[in-house]
Amino acid sequence: MNVFNMLIPMTIEGLRITIGVFLATLVISIPLSIIVAKLRMSKNKIIAKITGIYIYIMRGTPLLLQLMFIFFGFHYIPLIGFAFGRYQAIIIAFVLNYTAYLAEIFRGGIGSIDIGQFEACQVLSLSKRFTFMKVILPQVVKNVMPSIGNEVITLVKDTSLVYILGVADILKAAKSVSNTYSTFIPYIFVGIVYLLITAILTKLLDNFESKFSYYR
Amino acid sequence: MTLVVENLSKSYGDTNVFSDISFALEKGEILCIRGKSGQGKTTLLRCLNNLETLDKGSIKINNRYLCKEVNGKVNYASQQELKVIRQDIGFVFQSFNLFPHMTVKENLLLAPKFLKKLSNDEIEKKADELILKLDLSTKSDNYPYQLSGGQKQRVAIARACMLSPSILCFDEPTSALDEETMGQISKIIKELAAQGIAIIIVTHDSAFVEEIGGKVITLKN
Repeated sequence: MNVFNMLIPMTIEGLRITIGVFLATLVISIPLSIIVAKLRMSKNKIIAKITGIYIYIMRGTPLLLQLMFIFFGFHYIPLIGFAFGRYQAIIIAFVLNYTAYLAEIFRGGIGSIDIGQFEACQVLSLSKRFTFMKVILPQVVKNVMPSIGNEVITLVKDTSLVYILGVADILKAAKSVSNTYSTFIPYIFVGIVYLLITAILTKLLDNFESKFSYYR
Repeated sequence: MTLVVENLSKSYGDTNVFSDISFALEKGEILCIRGKSGQGKTTLLRCLNNLETLDKGSIKINNRYLCKEVNGKVNYASQQELKVIRQDIGFVFQSFNLFPHMTVKENLLLAPKFLKKLSNDEIEKKADELILKLDLSTKSDNYPYQLSGGQKQRVAIARACMLSPSILCFDEPTSALDEETMGQISKIIKELAAQGIAIIIVTHDSAFVEEIGGKVITLKN
């Protein structure tokens, strides 16, 4: 039982990191990604291009590398005398990365809305902002929910990458205990914790999706 | 004159869509624009509603220029003016373009509540009147997917009427309807005209043109 005496408190500590990174990333990335999607679709070619490059870099390189880059990178720039703290670096890297993926999902969602919806708003003299917030976005959210759900689940597991900056999440906790007691049990345990989190999220996502099933 | 249209021309690249179209409409007049498909009827209607821009010509709605041709160049009203002028002209789309995530009543309330020209009570009252008049009372809390083609069309008409337009445009109003609902829609259109709304109908349906009466323009290439 000694294993669990060490494992459970450390896992609870680790959960704070896992869930903290997860929630902070989602809460910041989702609104940000809608703005980025709009910029990506901007008629201004320069803005669209710059946004495209940002998305390309974020999707084209590993999140692990991005974490290292944002945390360690500044130490290598001479004379700048500035660097992000561990937790700052983690949130910035996760937000930048997930915003890029979510923005592409929202871009697809906005693009899938019938042009007639925009035109109906236009002939009713609605402003562009009002049109987007009240007519377009609610329909987009319904359409993109399954894809967003996918990203949300992936994010839970991606939080384990924070170990590279020496931050102890639940996987790191399992690893420490496993090393101490030379046993594989902590890994099985932490696997079950991930599955539990995913089960709860799946249920929440299903509920949220069915909230939008009142219309077709 | 409610609507004065002078020398409208439009082309996409080398393809001429329509050219040199002029007409005028008084209060309560009905105009049918006929022509085969691909002859620019819908494009003409879309130009009147500023969904597309013209190459030549002037459009004057209630003595305000939506656009005016000066020295061969079409000058459009400012965004601010357009917002006001546009409220005088309503559009019932061929595919209705109702908002699928809103009930019938919410579809009606959205624009007037945004524009705030009337108080909320007046807006609600107006919506209820239109819902009653267009025989949608039992459907007011339903979503568009639960409605038949004819009902959707009546919602689209009610939604346009919420802004009290002086002109109402219909794009192929009979295309989604059976014979019975066709009779209904012509009755509704005549009633709207009787209330003083000028009506423009784009259609390829000769029987409907006959039924509805009014002026007729036939587009030809």
